[in-house]
Amino acid sequence: MTPAGMAALFAVGLLIVVVAFVVLATYNAVVALRLRIDKAWANIDVALKQRFDQLPNLVEAVRGVMHWEQQVLTDVATARAAYSPAAAIPEQAATSAATSAAVRSLFAVVERYPEVRSAANVMALQEEIERLEGLIADRRELYNDQVYRHNTRIAQVPAVLVAGLFGWGPRPFFEASEADRVRPETSLEAGS
Amino acid sequence: MDPQLLVIAVGGVVGGVALLARGFGSYREAARITDTSTSRIASIAVGEVLVSGVVEPAEVTLVSPLQSAICVFYRSRIEAGDDERSTVFREEAAVGFRVRDDSGELRVFPRGARFDVPPRFDEGTGALGDSPAGLRLRRGAAYGPGEDREAQIAALLTVHPAGSGLPGEDANRGRFGSGLVGSASRARHYKEARIEPGDVVTVMGRALPFDQLSDPAAADVLDPGSPSADDPEIAADLAFARAAGTLMDPEDAWGNAAIPGFGIGRPVREPDLDEAAVDPPLATADDAARYQRTFAIGPDALILAAAPDAPLTIAIGLPSVAAGRAQRQFFVGLLGAVVAIASAMALAVMLGDGITR
Repeated sequence: MTPAGMAALFAVGLLIVVVAFVVLATYNAVVALRLRIDKAWANIDVALKQRFDQLPNLVEAVRGVMHWEQQVLTDVATARAAYSPAAAIPEQAATSAATSAAVRSLFAVVERYPEVRSAANVMALQEEIERLEGLIADRRELYNDQVYRHNTRIAQVPAVLVAGLFGWGPRPFFEASEADRVRPETSLEAGS
Repeated sequence: MDPQLLVIAVGGVVGGVALLARGFGSYREAARITDTSTSRIASIAVGEVLVSGVVEPAEVTLVSPLQSAICVFYRSRIEAGDDERSTVFREEAAVGFRVRDDSGELRVFPRGARFDVPPRFDEGTGALGDSPAGLRLRRGAAYGPGEDREAQIAALLTVHPAGSGLPGEDANRGRFGSGLVGSASRARHYKEARIEPGDVVTVMGRALPFDQLSDPAAADVLDPGSPSADDPEIAADLAFARAAGTLMDPEDAWGNAAIPGFGIGRPVREPDLDEAAVDPPLATADDAARYQRTFAIGPDALILAAAPDAPLTIAIGLPSVAAGRAQRQFFVGLLGAVVAIASAMALAVMLGDGITR
């Protein structure tokens, strides 16, 4: 082979190496993205499960005193009962939002009962559930951001070619419903 | 065929391929950062995470060799020579630190980390061999004060007389050996990259409970290690100190701390107690709480450390800035590929000429 031929072969070889690297790196990056989404979802699921376990304790702790607030307690119990780890992500998002709204309503009502609010176990439970609510909100944000990065990536070149080849589609967001954005209706009048 | 051109062409091929290989690494790093969402520290879970926040010192800090700046990481280098530079000093060290965002703080153990920190100080000696502005060689201990405010104030107010480091130093000579620094005979180039308290960093690595860290003491320090006794500069310094009668025995210099096992493990003999010593006063409640916070990490507290399957990357700046740097390096790598191809073609032309002649 002539030196010119060897140089041409070297150039083509280097070009192939660059293209192969970009394809492989893109494939690995999308796989890593999908795994990160799965992990982010698993972390939300852990927090949802913890909240699911804590809610009955809170309802039990306040039920004795809040005879006149059965509707709020029923709302919390209903929302909790709707939790299903096997459901699709958008359904779980709706359930989670409804639970958060019910819990916020319960906390708002608890504020009107000083004897309940000052009970040590209620305070501890309220603190723990507020922590879990914050955790769920943070992890939902992280999950959605990860999904956004994934969906954006697989819609762009060169990942769009790899995604088409492997049948990778966009992932669903853990979206907050309108109910989640509505502030709970509360009255300042005691017992209302 | 001009042998010099041939060397340049071969160098172009090798250098270009090396740049491309480095660019590949940067591409993966950039993808790793851009594809990972930034976690809020208060809500991180075990596993690979990316956090970004402000650096806060932990138990101790470092003093950088070239500018004597308080930092948690430095990479310093001195090169000598005008045309052919040779490295006469190179040191890299890091100590554990905290990263704080608006939600909380996280302890980072830097052992095994890859640091992406551009130089803050990049200067050379002047035409007459004068030291560059900003060069302030370290003359005291390599470790600085930690978070303790009083210690920081005391360190700030301590006056270090010129040449007070090693025996035989003068104002223009640092710890880097006889006449290496400040000499007008050879030009020098100084380069130092640092992460200082207050800097914004992006850290990507594995979050794990503190009690799962196999060796916290080792993981907390990235140290160049003790200077080798074979080092001719150190040997010369030791000989000088011995001749001047200023070399102390370890026990004279360090007291009970020189007893093997005194720091870690069990001392091999009883310490010598000073009869005249008085018991130190107990810490106040505030001080005790601060020390507890500084030195005690709960077993369940999540920390960031390097793991075999998840390398630890510490980059200065926000994630977008760190990813931008890595992407630029990838483009430089692509440029390297172009240089390699051009050099290969030039080489082919030269070899073809050589053969046809």
